[in-house]
Amino acid sequence: MGMKWYIARRIAWTVFATWLALTITFGLLALSPSAGELQAAQQAAMQGGNAEEAKENYQERIGLDKPFHERYLDWLVGIVTLNWGWSISRQQTVLTAIGNAYPYSLQYILPSTIFTTFVGYGLGLWGGMHRNQPSDYAGMVIAFFGISIPNFWFAIMLILITGVWFQDAAVLGVALQPFKLPVFYDSDVPISQGWLSVANIKQLILPTVVLSTASLAAQMRYSRAQVLEYVNSDFVKTARAKGGSDAYVLFRHILRVALVPLTNILVGTVLGVVFAGSLIIEQVFQIPGLGQLIFKGITNNDTALVLGPVLISTFLVIFGNLIEDLLYTVLDPRVDYSDR
Amino acid sequence: MSGENDYADLTFRNLNLDEEEESTNIQVTAGSLGQILTLGLLTVGYLFDYLVVTENTSMFAYMGSPVLAAWDVSSVDWMFMYTLALLLFNAVLPLYNNPRLTGYYWRQFRKNRLAVFSGWIVIGISLMGLLGPILFDPPTLSLTDAYLPPVGITARPEGTPISGVWKYPLGTNHQGQGMLKLLVYGARVSLQIALISTLVATGIGAVVGATGAFVGGIVDEVLFRYVDVQSVFPVFIFLLYLVYLFGAELYYIILIFGFFSWEGTARLVRAEALQRTEEAYVQASEAAGASRSWVIGRHIIPNVSSTIVTVATLILPSFVLGEAALAFLGFSEPGTFSWGTTIAGGRGSLSTAPWISTIPGFFLFFFVLCVNSVGDALTDAVDPRGESGE
Repeated sequence: MGMKWYIARRIAWTVFATWLALTITFGLLALSPSAGELQAAQQAAMQGGNAEEAKENYQERIGLDKPFHERYLDWLVGIVTLNWGWSISRQQTVLTAIGNAYPYSLQYILPSTIFTTFVGYGLGLWGGMHRNQPSDYAGMVIAFFGISIPNFWFAIMLILITGVWFQDAAVLGVALQPFKLPVFYDSDVPISQGWLSVANIKQLILPTVVLSTASLAAQMRYSRAQVLEYVNSDFVKTARAKGGSDAYVLFRHILRVALVPLTNILVGTVLGVVFAGSLIIEQVFQIPGLGQLIFKGITNNDTALVLGPVLISTFLVIFGNLIEDLLYTVLDPRVDYSDR
Repeated sequence: MSGENDYADLTFRNLNLDEEEESTNIQVTAGSLGQILTLGLLTVGYLFDYLVVTENTSMFAYMGSPVLAAWDVSSVDWMFMYTLALLLFNAVLPLYNNPRLTGYYWRQFRKNRLAVFSGWIVIGISLMGLLGPILFDPPTLSLTDAYLPPVGITARPEGTPISGVWKYPLGTNHQGQGMLKLLVYGARVSLQIALISTLVATGIGAVVGATGAFVGGIVDEVLFRYVDVQSVFPVFIFLLYLVYLFGAELYYIILIFGFFSWEGTARLVRAEALQRTEEAYVQASEAAGASRSWVIGRHIIPNVSSTIVTVATLILPSFVLGEAALAFLGFSEPGTFSWGTTIAGGRGSLSTAPWISTIPGFFLFFFVLCVNSVGDALTDAVDPRGESGE
């Protein structure tokens, strides 16, 4: 009874949080100045027409003349029925814009996430098990580097080294010119030569490296802290007393509880790092992905275009938190749900 | 004072309960009186600057003072002075009044030599940001001096080779602004965002966390459900959008950072405070008729201060990096010399004048690295669990 009730309440909260996120987003949308309205007014003024009239016409066309609650309901229905609005600056629907942009983001976010999850978690677990040994210190140095380096500056420095200095530098008599990497992303390459072509992979190396440093460090620190928290706990001591080997204790006992927050780390922290990071990375390398979509949406005052990707990431985080809490009920036998 | 006198004093006080109460009362008022006076003075100064003195005029020039006449105190400067005053009275003074505890923390901290070294660098950069803008004039545009390399380096940023001159020890950028001055002024921006935003965020987080833990029930539920919602939003994009909507003024960025990044602090403080609410001193205080706000402010928050310090050192670097990233993307107040803006300005001439992007980025990286290192050592110093290793 206790656990079922807990799960039911948890799902109900997820639905409520989603609704709240939608409502806040609608509030932002209603508060912000409408780019289309300004555009219509400007156009009318330039052609000698009546700016006020043009504004009203525009409002009627978009449905802004309806009462507030009707607009709100229309908007909610629109989100559910995948009608996410019209992007003024791109002259296409928001979903089309997202559909065009996301492959460009995914092609470096996905490899980076897989790499950092395995390597970051692995290094963190190793460091936690071998606390205060040289290998742990080496791992900590990497983690400190990763969380401290400003990713936009790191990207610029990598461009400077691999794109500029490799042009005429040589190491031990070997010219580095063939290893020179492209400075900016050329979005024609995946279309003309294929997504998995050498040329495309070559221009994705730098963005992947930059994105990986920050999230690698975050996962390392987190998993190390998790291990340190459990390594002296009673159930681990018991397992050791029974003669369990390091690997057995790690995989059978520590990892079982330490893995649960992984979903949260993956979805929450990594999404945070990825969204902020990809915005900057795509700006530096000129990749036409989701990050640049958001950035251009912001600078062009195209609110609908900004809110689409924001909503997606919000849904992902809400959903990830739900999965995390549900996983706890399965993976962590210590939690008692009777009084929740 | 010798130990013998201390002891005698103590017994005397124990016998004379009334007098003890009186003496502690006086002690409390002395500290908080200074705080109230300083904050009041700052408030009066701010209101004077805001209401009486005309815009773009220095308050000191308005009063006819030749000293500091060039300093037009901005809103951020006022907030910064508030922050420094609050830190002085609530962090430095208690540590000074409690030398035994301070000594213990220092001995723990000193074990990490790298952190001590980092601490000196943090202090150095902070002093640079604090005092530099008072000693030097702001960097000025001078197109004839553009793209000068640092001293000792000869480069050809515009075809013809030129060497650095001592007028600009670290060279100049594309607008002829001295890199050293840009660094000094940028350090102040980073320091301001670091201290003010962290104070706002940890302050809100501590109050919300302690209130949730101590009051409990529906208040706790509502507060922390809100925390859940706030932690779900992609904060950086939200910030970008708010900054875009309402303008990229520095005080605005600082406040947005502070008001939307306290959820981690609140969660940790709540977890810690939940244990404190069961302590005997809280029950005693309640039994003596203390109000909720008194118990929270007097007993719970001071007793979770080590957690607060730990979280503060964790979120502080993210504010510095966040502001630099915003400035790099072009969202910064015109006329402020953020390191991010300087780095972005050097992007166009990366191959010919690499020092413009390299030097401020290196400072930013180093500053954040050192703060992280100090924070790590502080966490170990105040966390007694850290000692129980194998």
